[in-house]
Amino acid sequence: MFALRRTKRGVLASATLAVSALAISAIPAQAFSVHAETGVTATQIKLGITIPLTGSAAPGYSKIPSAMQAYFNYVNDNGGVYGRKISLVVKDDAYLPTLAVAKTNELILKDKVFAVVGALGTANNKAVAKSVNLGRRGIPDLFVNTGYSGFADAKKYPTTFSLFPSYIMEAKIMGQYIKENFAGKKLGLIYQDDDFGTDALVGFKQAGVKFDVSVPYASGSQSAQSAQGWIGKLKAAGAEVVVMFGVTTASGAALATAAAMAYKAQWILGSVGGDATTLKAVGVPAYVLTGAMGASFLPAPTDTTDEYVKFFQGINTKYNGDAVFDNNVLVAMNTAMMAVQALRAGGKNLTHASVMSGLENSGSSFASASLSPINYASGVHVGYSGYWFGTYNSAGELKPNGGAYSVYTTDSGAGAIVKSTFKRPALPANGLPTN
Amino acid sequence: MKKKISILAVSALASLALSVLPSAAHADAPTCATANFVTSCQGATSDGALYAMSVPANFNGTLVLYSHGYRYPVDIPAGIPLVGGYKVVKVAEPAPSAAVAKYLLGKGFGIAGSGFAVEGWNADSGIKTDTELIATFKAQFPTTTKVVAWGSSLGGFITQGLAEQHPDLISAAAPMCTVAGSVEGELTMAADVLWGMKTFFDPTIKGHNYSAGAAGYGEAMGDLVKVFTVLGKLQAGVASGAWPDSAGPAGTALSAIPSRSALLLVGLMSGLPAQSMHFDATSGPGPKNSASYTSFALAASPALAVLENIANAAVLGVLATYDVEQQAGGAVIDNSKTDYAARIESEAVSNNAALSGNTAIGGMLSFLNPANPAAPRWTADPAAVIKMRALASHTGKINVPTIALANVADPAVPAGNVQWLADRYAEQYAHAKGVAMATFSKTGTYTAVRKSFLAVWSVPPTTYTKFTNTGAPDTSGPAANGTGHCGYTDKQLMAIVDLATNAAATGKLMSGGPLYTVIRKAGGLSIDPEFRAPLLKFYNEQ
Repeated sequence: MFALRRTKRGVLASATLAVSALAISAIPAQAFSVHAETGVTATQIKLGITIPLTGSAAPGYSKIPSAMQAYFNYVNDNGGVYGRKISLVVKDDAYLPTLAVAKTNELILKDKVFAVVGALGTANNKAVAKSVNLGRRGIPDLFVNTGYSGFADAKKYPTTFSLFPSYIMEAKIMGQYIKENFAGKKLGLIYQDDDFGTDALVGFKQAGVKFDVSVPYASGSQSAQSAQGWIGKLKAAGAEVVVMFGVTTASGAALATAAAMAYKAQWILGSVGGDATTLKAVGVPAYVLTGAMGASFLPAPTDTTDEYVKFFQGINTKYNGDAVFDNNVLVAMNTAMMAVQALRAGGKNLTHASVMSGLENSGSSFASASLSPINYASGVHVGYSGYWFGTYNSAGELKPNGGAYSVYTTDSGAGAIVKSTFKRPALPANGLPTN
Repeated sequence: MKKKISILAVSALASLALSVLPSAAHADAPTCATANFVTSCQGATSDGALYAMSVPANFNGTLVLYSHGYRYPVDIPAGIPLVGGYKVVKVAEPAPSAAVAKYLLGKGFGIAGSGFAVEGWNADSGIKTDTELIATFKAQFPTTTKVVAWGSSLGGFITQGLAEQHPDLISAAAPMCTVAGSVEGELTMAADVLWGMKTFFDPTIKGHNYSAGAAGYGEAMGDLVKVFTVLGKLQAGVASGAWPDSAGPAGTALSAIPSRSALLLVGLMSGLPAQSMHFDATSGPGPKNSASYTSFALAASPALAVLENIANAAVLGVLATYDVEQQAGGAVIDNSKTDYAARIESEAVSNNAALSGNTAIGGMLSFLNPANPAAPRWTADPAAVIKMRALASHTGKINVPTIALANVADPAVPAGNVQWLADRYAEQYAHAKGVAMATFSKTGTYTAVRKSFLAVWSVPPTTYTKFTNTGAPDTSGPAANGTGHCGYTDKQLMAIVDLATNAAATGKLMSGGPLYTVIRKAGGLSIDPEFRAPLLKFYNEQ
């Protein structure tokens, strides 16, 4: 009646056997379900990511996987995580939710990854959560590359951990900045007309900001042609300050078209669509970006006085083919560093549960480039909560307004916006976490 | 259905079954003949259902009883797309294909199946016919020891019904592309599609509450013509977003929204898959990085998938509605309180771009609001609803080892039917485990609960849409795996029947390595235990 279940490798730890032998006459076999976690061997931890490598959203984002793997390779060259080397299986989802579902299924069922890390896109992640059921499977969905506020619901998404501040937080903080700095100006907004943009609308409403003209666009419809319609509406309404809450290709289309149509406004770019090198790559002349404002929770990627930026630039040179070091590369390497700490927090006997409990218990103290505090705690799966504002100079560098980073934090509800006093943990020695 | 009939028409086995026998109030002894070491018999059950059964010389004692799917209960005039010229048929179907019949006979199994006594939705009489047919088979071949029941679509429903009502008669079951629960879920889906098509694209579509007799038949045939006509116009307008000239108030009110988005909304709110036989919703023409590739995959492909799905399910939807309404004596579906916004809450996220964004979604849902006089809702006849609900239904109880097979993107009988069965079984299994644990607490003896239900999913490939040299979608090729209604490969069908006959022989489901080997060799199948097909909207609202 009692048959001990073997592990997938047919090995059962002797200690477990000894304990089992004592209990075998009393406890159902199911209680002895000891097994190796999928994606983990004695020498390897296999992670997976879905991200657009092709398609309309690929510019910029396509740089992320190689940058993540670069940091992982650095860690691997220095002993890995408790002796295990990290590999990253990369799947192109072209920013299509249906494809993201199929590719995540491949990661889980064919590649048999231990966890998904850094999967990009609000709609994609929501589609995956519903159709692939990472939560029901108990598979960690670490540091999703989206600020959608809904992923804060740890009951609905029990294995999902957000890293970025929510878009509601971003809009709230941005809204306050607008009220303090552009009172009386005519305000315009371009936003992606899905949950990403809806979060922004909620945040601006919380902040008490009303736009004189709002221009929604359907995800994927951004183009030079559609941007002519956006700019036409803004121009007709006389908008003097325009917030752009979309992906970088949409920001690029808007800025380039505005320049072509001789429409001048104070642009404020949301963090998602504000990477300067990607904007340049999609055809935005530097002079168009100059003077625009942006928000970020990380230091500027050009800020070589920042120890994290300097360290990651070194990794980029040695392990990432010296790719252009921009915000996407910085985000990627920072995410990878967070992932390494999460895996370490999971302990030597790495399991899905141990990683997630490790994140909840100690994630708030992880080393991270972010200038915002990390808020992980029991039942709290949202990492950062703050932004600083800056202005793009003629070289396309985002420089903090006032000359120094002033980070403001808030929540996704009605909480106040406060100036952060957070002191960021120092970069671990040699950039290798020891948590 | 046409495919199955044509397959049988060319098979040697079918030729034995095709001869017409008169209806009889009582069952006559079957007429048998032996050729090539196979004894084949034909006859009619007491309710007049024609049957066919065959047994090889090396009969192993197990009968594999097949129940065929829904057959239209009326002739369909020539000229109606896809099914024009269809004539009601009564032919017996002892297997889903000639190749599978040959395969089973070659392995020593006996096979049997009938054409049922009545066509259309006939679950009650179908279960009765199958019960009698088992007895007839056993009488003719007394060495029979076990019976495996399997069936497709409505035949899957009959199979599950047989397993629920007569578990003593069968040892294992395999409902495939099956309707599950009751006919109401399917009719609700059909009504949502037809109401959506009517409200958005052609207010002259009747869609429900068909008149009795010849008048109702004419109305149903007229609806088929209208649905196919408007689908043709929608197809022509996919790229431009133009609305059909038949659209009425919606075409004016929603003209700023591409008609393809409204079409997709109809599919999603009804529970149709956004992938179809030829449209994957993941690819487009040209290089992957081109704008045409992305925009087709994102905006056009899901709408074209719904269009193709509606085209393939429309006849069944209209005729099944007409059929059950005739049986029940009036309109059976009521959408007066249906919350279509809630229906698409999650689908709207995945398909946001194809639906043209939240603002467009809001506009379309506003038009469908019950308060809009241009979008009148449907109400049912309470007496007819009572009669419909008195038709055979499932509890979902699994009494014998059961293997259920579903196409993940089935447009006519969505995979959510099998999910419903899987969910009922999960409850049953959890309860049984609870009882076992309680017994263990009391007695110290734990008896493991054996799993008796296996869901097998036929999964579409990641990308499969084909394009011509000019970049137009090419739908001339075969349907992709996991799409369409039933349409499984013979290898897949053989795998399922292998699992079922193995379960009958051993009393338990195959598991572990042998199971994975069978599934892998069949190709295109998955037994991922964590996969969940979306339930039919009807069941989500219960």
